[in-house]
Amino acid sequence: MSAKTYRTVPVRDLSSDELLELSKQQKLSLSREDMEVVQQIFREVDRDPTDVELEVIAQTWSEHCKHRIFSASISHSVNGGAPETVNSLFKTYIKKPSEKIMERKPGFVLSAFDDNAGFIALDDKLAVCLKAETHNHPSAIEPYAGANTGLGGVIRDILGAGKGAKPIASLDVFCFGAPDTDPASITAPDVIHPLGIMRGVVRGVRDYGNRMGIPTVNGAIQFDPTYIYNPLVFCGTAGVIPRGDILKEMRPGLKVIVIGGRTGRDGLKGATFSSAALDEASHEEDFTAVQIGNPIEEKKTLDFILEARERGLIVFITDCGAGGFSSAAGEMLSVTGGEIFLDNAPLKEPGLISWEIFLSESQERMVMAVEEKDLPELQKLADTFQTELTVLGHSDNTGILKVWHKGELVCCLDNSKLHEAPVKKLSSVFTSGRGLTGQPMPDKDLGKSLETVMSDFAIVSREPIIREYDHEVQGNTILKPLAGATADAPQDGSVVDIDGSDKCMAMACAILPEWGKTDPYAMGTGTVDECVRQLILVGSNPDKIGLLDNFCMGNPEDPAELGRLVECVKAIAKAADAYNAPFISGKDSFYNYFETEDGPINVPVTFLCSGFGVVESPDHATGSSLRRDDSLLYLIGNTEDEMGGSVFARTHGVNDCKVPQTDCAKNMELYKAYYNALTSGLVLSAHDVSEGGLAVTAAEMAFSGKGGVQLDLTKVPTVNGWKSPAIPLFSESTGRILVEVDPEFAADFEAAMEGFPCACIGRATPEKRLAATCCGGEKVLDCELARLKKLWKDGLTPYY
Amino acid sequence: MPHALLLKYPGTNCDVETERALRTVGFSTQVQPIATAAPEHVAKSQLVVISGGFSYGDYVTSGRLAQLETERFLGDALHRHHAGGGLILGICNGFQILTKLGILPSSSLIDNKSERFECLWAKLVKVAKDSPFLQGLPDEFELPSAHAEGRLVTRPGDAEKYLAAGYVALQYADNRDGCACSIAGLQDATGRAMGLMPHPERFLLPRHHYDKDWSAHEDWGWGYFLFKSAFDTLK
Repeated sequence: MSAKTYRTVPVRDLSSDELLELSKQQKLSLSREDMEVVQQIFREVDRDPTDVELEVIAQTWSEHCKHRIFSASISHSVNGGAPETVNSLFKTYIKKPSEKIMERKPGFVLSAFDDNAGFIALDDKLAVCLKAETHNHPSAIEPYAGANTGLGGVIRDILGAGKGAKPIASLDVFCFGAPDTDPASITAPDVIHPLGIMRGVVRGVRDYGNRMGIPTVNGAIQFDPTYIYNPLVFCGTAGVIPRGDILKEMRPGLKVIVIGGRTGRDGLKGATFSSAALDEASHEEDFTAVQIGNPIEEKKTLDFILEARERGLIVFITDCGAGGFSSAAGEMLSVTGGEIFLDNAPLKEPGLISWEIFLSESQERMVMAVEEKDLPELQKLADTFQTELTVLGHSDNTGILKVWHKGELVCCLDNSKLHEAPVKKLSSVFTSGRGLTGQPMPDKDLGKSLETVMSDFAIVSREPIIREYDHEVQGNTILKPLAGATADAPQDGSVVDIDGSDKCMAMACAILPEWGKTDPYAMGTGTVDECVRQLILVGSNPDKIGLLDNFCMGNPEDPAELGRLVECVKAIAKAADAYNAPFISGKDSFYNYFETEDGPINVPVTFLCSGFGVVESPDHATGSSLRRDDSLLYLIGNTEDEMGGSVFARTHGVNDCKVPQTDCAKNMELYKAYYNALTSGLVLSAHDVSEGGLAVTAAEMAFSGKGGVQLDLTKVPTVNGWKSPAIPLFSESTGRILVEVDPEFAADFEAAMEGFPCACIGRATPEKRLAATCCGGEKVLDCELARLKKLWKDGLTPYY
Repeated sequence: MPHALLLKYPGTNCDVETERALRTVGFSTQVQPIATAAPEHVAKSQLVVISGGFSYGDYVTSGRLAQLETERFLGDALHRHHAGGGLILGICNGFQILTKLGILPSSSLIDNKSERFECLWAKLVKVAKDSPFLQGLPDEFELPSAHAEGRLVTRPGDAEKYLAAGYVALQYADNRDGCACSIAGLQDATGRAMGLMPHPERFLLPRHHYDKDWSAHEDWGWGYFLFKSAFDTLK
């Protein structure tokens, strides 16, 4: 008789303190209140849980899987006022507004919130989906493997969306400490220097995405010292599927199969690990929580799934992500109930005990429910693609999840109890900053200022990173991340052709953590604005945009930290409503803080808004690179004295300014007018005015290499005006687009923008310079483009 | 209608767009996973294509495992196909595999000079002017390229001999990867087998070009003409 593969854990007679101690000892990441509910569940059934059951509950109730902060009851107080109660940030500010929008445009969103990814309609036959995930904790400890499996995981989300969507494009967004951080300034031992994090993460994403044959077409990087201890790694992937294959439903009597990689000890307790803070010991103790990636295994799985789906052999499918079989089988069998036999699972190594097999987060595994009669055909497909297929168990109609190992029942849980986690109670406060306007701005040598801004890590070219990703595999990338005459000028978004459709899909993202330090509400509206603006600017139909929200923050039990999150979430609800663009999926990551001897270091509340839109014709795909040397430049949208959170303010030591405020409804009207002009063929190219302001926008457009730019700042549309020319050049007011128009169409373009803030503020020139004049024709800027471009292009290269 | 067979290995990831390109120029096509490939599949094809990707992850020398698996499942079928007048094309990883299979002159594709993966368009010079794959192309053209192991090396002196013997199909104009004699593509003595690192299947249409104002051809990108040349040779 071999040793027992599970044990019973006595909990019924433990005191409250002992329960909490048990949770800590076993690294369950469950709170005192959670443990008391667990105790209650097992007192009711009059037995003690097995270790498998405890692990299953810990994983199911983990922040990672249940989003308990976003479902919590939060008492929120602003500027010392009476607190209001928010019952679930998710339901109140994300789900409800999005459902309202979906009602307003029936037939557009085909699935939201309940599958692995949300779907929007592309045309009558096809739908596209998008999902973004974070892999922060693993990337902090093991950057290459952490980021590698981060992308691998989100690709599986797409493979498990509907009955198996085809991944067609990826995006990646990183938040790091600056690569030139002085090592001596990092106070905690074992923390990996930002340069090591950046190189490891980029290579991890590269090696997974490239081998999977999915183009990485979009992304962003932010640098801030607080990210040294907790780097943030967001990976997103889009997919396409026939509309008829979106809905899936479990039923009793199906076989549950696993396809792909084997199960091992890598990635144990990832779900619970990611729901706790990091500390010095994490680097030593938690390395088994990081998974090991094998992209070729996943590629074979992808080939298998797409073929099986096309043949109609998949009834239900989900990915094995955080929580492994426990999460996948738990989700699949949560309604019907069923049995899983751990002895069947193919293992990487012998000797795994029950909970290790059931909870392991080994990569490249997909779980499917199929008809028994189809098993021979599925096996043949598995042989064709040289991947492993195993029957794990079956569904039944008991509503109970039963897990067997070596002839013993190691887990027997009532699904209805399992999927109702106790509601957390939290409190939050928010105190607004001063947000001054009319502050004196340095305006002496603005050419020098522009050089400083252009070479700041927030602005410099991501080219060394972009080149490491294959952004053209699948042969459909028609607006690439870098374009222009020499293929090295930045674009606001990407556009990909979709096989089987005459429409295309655009992808874009925005992230402005600097703004949230002062005004998280303005960060919320501003970030959604930038994402929507980029999508429309590159050619998306304004009525056909879907958004994703990804939040990262430090300790949610710190009321001031949580207060900023609440303000930001309120803002994005308002913005989604105004842009009529629903959030269809999202993800959050908490506890991104690090315990040092001097106290905890929290990351700023970080909100990534990524989105995708339907581009009605490839002809609408519009780049951000200047195409002529004799065209006119129009600025649409108002420029105000809003330097808060700007790159200029940060690099010039200006504090406490007003962060750009966004009138989303007004902006949307503006974008619709722009879209009409674009689809009428009046736009040569267009670039959003965002980080760095108008000066950076104009320079980046001219980096196409086809001409220079001459601007007259007195023409820049504004409501409240400004005192220093630094404002029109560097303010980051939202809602603005710089548009290149053929002089022949100037009158038509002006007519199309009639009634909106829009003015011809300059023109393209044959001289390769960026020049600007202000009041009385005074020259405030006159830079050689080649010099600016070199500063911008070489910013990251020393670190690669 | 000429028929093209595309061999697919675990990790091959450019088969869909390569098949699209072949169909666009007129081929009938079949993508065959290597585990189910048989000599009959080769026998009924006029063109065999090995498309890009990372066969078996390329964790050992790129193309080596694919070579062994090809020999296991197809024996010498590819050599017989070639001897019988059939065409063989290897793109990127397919090129790497063909060098291992001994269908192309002996050489290896190793880490780029930059020692990193680079996704960047390449300017190319046509050397083999009568190649069945290149006849429809101008003397200089551009194609997208994306690889980490694209630096062609040979035994000392061989590259120069290949150049003199007419085995070099394409050269890079700038030779970023540091290839011997700037070789971007090789062919065998008959010209009926060719391998190249850049990806013609990714430049089928003008809109695939990075510059929206590209206008060297109204309807098609340069990649189209590579496949079209093969089709015109066989039709």
